[in-house]
Amino acid sequence: MITFENIDVVYPNGFKGLSNVNLQINKGEFVAIVGLSGAGKSTLIRTVNGLVPFTSGTLTVGDVVVDPRSKAKLRRLRSRVGMIFQSFNLVTRVSVLNNVLVGRSADTPTWRSLLGWYRAEDKELAFQSLERVGIVDKAYMRAASLSGGQQQRVAIARVLAQDPEVILADEPVASLDPPTAHKVMRDLRRIQQELGITTIVNMHHLDLARSYADRVIGMRAGEVVFDGPVEEATDEVIEQVYQRSLTAEDIVTAEAAQE
Amino acid sequence: MVTTSTAERRAAPQAAATVRPEPPRPSGLVYLGLAGLALLAFIVFWVIQESGDVLLIPLGFVTLWAPLNPVIGLVVMLVALAVCFKARIGTMAAFGTVAFIIMSYWAGATVGFTLLEIPERWSNVEPRLIAFLDPNWSYIWTVRDQWLITISMAVVATLIGCAIGLVLAMYASPVSSPNKGTSQAIKAVNSVIRSIPDVGWALLFVAFIGGTAHGLGPMAGILALLMFNIGIVAKLTSETIDSVNPGPVEAADASGANLTQRNRLAILPQVLPGFVSYGLYVFELNIRASAALGIVGVGGIGSAMMLQLNRFQFENVAAILIALIVVVLLVDMFSMYIRRKLL
Repeated sequence: MITFENIDVVYPNGFKGLSNVNLQINKGEFVAIVGLSGAGKSTLIRTVNGLVPFTSGTLTVGDVVVDPRSKAKLRRLRSRVGMIFQSFNLVTRVSVLNNVLVGRSADTPTWRSLLGWYRAEDKELAFQSLERVGIVDKAYMRAASLSGGQQQRVAIARVLAQDPEVILADEPVASLDPPTAHKVMRDLRRIQQELGITTIVNMHHLDLARSYADRVIGMRAGEVVFDGPVEEATDEVIEQVYQRSLTAEDIVTAEAAQE
Repeated sequence: MVTTSTAERRAAPQAAATVRPEPPRPSGLVYLGLAGLALLAFIVFWVIQESGDVLLIPLGFVTLWAPLNPVIGLVVMLVALAVCFKARIGTMAAFGTVAFIIMSYWAGATVGFTLLEIPERWSNVEPRLIAFLDPNWSYIWTVRDQWLITISMAVVATLIGCAIGLVLAMYASPVSSPNKGTSQAIKAVNSVIRSIPDVGWALLFVAFIGGTAHGLGPMAGILALLMFNIGIVAKLTSETIDSVNPGPVEAADASGANLTQRNRLAILPQVLPGFVSYGLYVFELNIRASAALGIVGVGGIGSAMMLQLNRFQFENVAAILIALIVVVLLVDMFSMYIRRKLL
């Protein structure tokens, strides 16, 4: 369970990223966060693992109270909270397996990381994660040689190798074409259901949010302006969040979903 | 007809074509000012000049005279300005041209740079040049031990220097260092290391621990090359780290990796091609530098060359120089091959 109590984020340049956010995200929930760019979606997701430190309020992940000032505590927190990025963020020059093994860092002694000499059980965990996203045969290929959708799956495998309680995904499908976007979202949804991992996903495609999430959170100007089950997130409600009428850009084409 | 051939279009009357824009004409007034600057520079050249060469201009009724070198400078500047104006070059670029000529004239005049000395001292140059052009080929093989020392010095200094340089680079770049203070401090130390040239380091180490006379030449040479290599590798690698893709770094952070793990897993693979390439470059520099280091009492091929130079055995010096060129070319080809395989 993740609890936000009166969370504020003020960036060093004075920009207010989040103001007075109160949220409770239950264990095993699949939450989509929607909002226009600059609404604070990324900030919200990055406060959970301390990539963006919050400036006031109380944040609890599981039974741990997040302390953005303590690097050691943050590392321990991050080992249980995996993150997926829009641009995949793989080291493209090394193998897929080595990218997935980055997810084992928190449980690997530094000297093993330095030598690249991982324990057999860590490698086994990495292979299992690759199996779960269906690209175990690519394990010894360079990450750069994979397509965008495959790279994002490697990133998901990297997160799974952490054996996480929470997965944060920051626009995970925004740089993928519509059919691939649906495939990756289906993978995420399946993994969330199989393993019961709390999953928080930023999106700007409304239909993706509606077809895969349990719950939708709408954000505007750093504030949560809508929070409810996916059935309640109707066009009218989302237009309220966006403060404009919906356009074709807000959805991924329907025929792609069939693919 | 819709389509027209190129020839037809060329033949079509030009009247219909729109007026083509021309480059804007630079301000004549500024150009006049630049000519004034050239004139001012001419007067300054005249005042500071040391040579008494005089240009005589007979006009029939009177003979004008002018200082030779400043007049040449003035003519060059005015011609350059005229060409710039004709080519409609912007005033800033024209100013740069004039400034370049003034600077090089001033710098050359300060140290009395002239190629005229060479023909004047030809009697001195000629026998040595002939000796250089007729190298003593049989000598090359007799200094193989010195070559071995030079190459060994370069290998050891490159390997250790690159290792230390990489660690320093990791602490020097704000992307990979634990905090800003560390990065600033390491950068400052690195600047100091780099501000002393390789020959400077060699002099220091020869003074501290002794040179060839004490049988410690290679030792001092390795230490000197080591410092030189650390400076270069740390500087270039840390700048490469500055520009790595921040995405994988953030991903490693988000997975709970500590600083060392993050630098090893997310940064090192990204900078590795650059780092290896810097290492090969530094190795090549080391081979070349050892020729100069011999002069200050460090072992290797440089000391053999210095010895022959002092004995006026120019045929032998020429043989060493040619071997140096060959070795440097071989090293260069080898490193190019490695780089191509790597990138």
